[in-house]
Amino acid sequence: MADFLSAYSIQYWLESCPQGYLEDTEYGHAPGETEPALLLDDPQLRQQSIRTTVQLVVGERCALAASSGLINAAPDEASKRYLATQTLDEARHVEIFTQRLYDLGVKKTELEDVLREHANPNLVKFAEVLLEKVDKKDFVAGVVGQNIVLEGMAFTVFEMLHAGVKGVNPKFAHTLSGTIADERRHVGFGENRIGSLIKEHPEKKPEIERMQRDMSYYMLATFADAFRRAPDAAERKRLAQDLGGRPEASWHGVDLATADPKDMEQALADTVLKEFKTRLGRIGIEYQSPVRP
Amino acid sequence: MNGDADSKLAGAAADGETSKPRQRFVLEETGFDEVPEKYRKYYRKWKGPSDDLGPNEVLCPVCKVVIRSTRELRPGDRVYCMACFTRFTVTRSELGALEATIEY
Repeated sequence: MADFLSAYSIQYWLESCPQGYLEDTEYGHAPGETEPALLLDDPQLRQQSIRTTVQLVVGERCALAASSGLINAAPDEASKRYLATQTLDEARHVEIFTQRLYDLGVKKTELEDVLREHANPNLVKFAEVLLEKVDKKDFVAGVVGQNIVLEGMAFTVFEMLHAGVKGVNPKFAHTLSGTIADERRHVGFGENRIGSLIKEHPEKKPEIERMQRDMSYYMLATFADAFRRAPDAAERKRLAQDLGGRPEASWHGVDLATADPKDMEQALADTVLKEFKTRLGRIGIEYQSPVRP
Repeated sequence: MNGDADSKLAGAAADGETSKPRQRFVLEETGFDEVPEKYRKYYRKWKGPSDDLGPNEVLCPVCKVVIRSTRELRPGDRVYCMACFTRFTVTRSELGALEATIEY
């Protein structure tokens, strides 16, 4: 039984989400908000924004496939109803990040080609590890992979992105803040549901730990690729000033406007892995360190 | 769903930490809009490690939202985070800060 969901309802989701923080929004941001002109006019900056947003669409398409696939694998009615709301959350994320690609100038007819061209192969592999569990209707492994590993990563990545753009791109910052609010429910479901279920299935631990190790490897490889392509600190500071924002953007003690991309990658990886260790430890799963890519 | 932290409080006398009456707090809206409207004043966004929590506040370790009560929190109190559905018992860390221990 999922006791922690005893009072969860579609009504609760409606009052919190569409009638709460998403009320009066349009694709997750205030109506009329647009991407900064400089970002649209500078080909390099625009391309970089497209590349980043493609990774978000790829990740959210994986989350949509996983959460919808887990509905029929869920052993109890409350989890099925909860996952139905998460499925809609993930579909919304796919839609709002896809809309951002359109706002950045990607044509609808070119969408799939742009996704194929820019999708990080390591992120695709990360998704494949998870979706293999979902395809086998393995609920315990699927929820750990989806709601603890993938959502845990997304939670931290979105927070870092939000800290980096809130001073220079309010439209994208608003889009991200709604997804962060959704992620709170998703990580909460993961920990609470698995926290009780793993006690009933201790034999699943070694397989789940292997999955987490593989997913963590591909996640770190994705971060490494992303930051290798990032503009250096001086270039980012100049861009932030050109965008009319404040250059300081502090996140976990790192100034995102001036830090070296290598230091940003280290801070993100360390924060995500620390969270993994803590979350997995709380539910009785031992974190497995991947080989550093 | 009742997410009001006050309604989850265990008795003050039972915690053994102090017999002094609990301090009372007036909660103001902080703009937190991620739970149904009537519960919003019981939560606020966390501002990071430098955020000083009041004696009526505890951080949800799962979703990093600050849960607030109209009464001072004490070890043994039970609270619920509506933002992520997690139930906690309030404990005191070695450094003296209030912490939340999750109940699965």
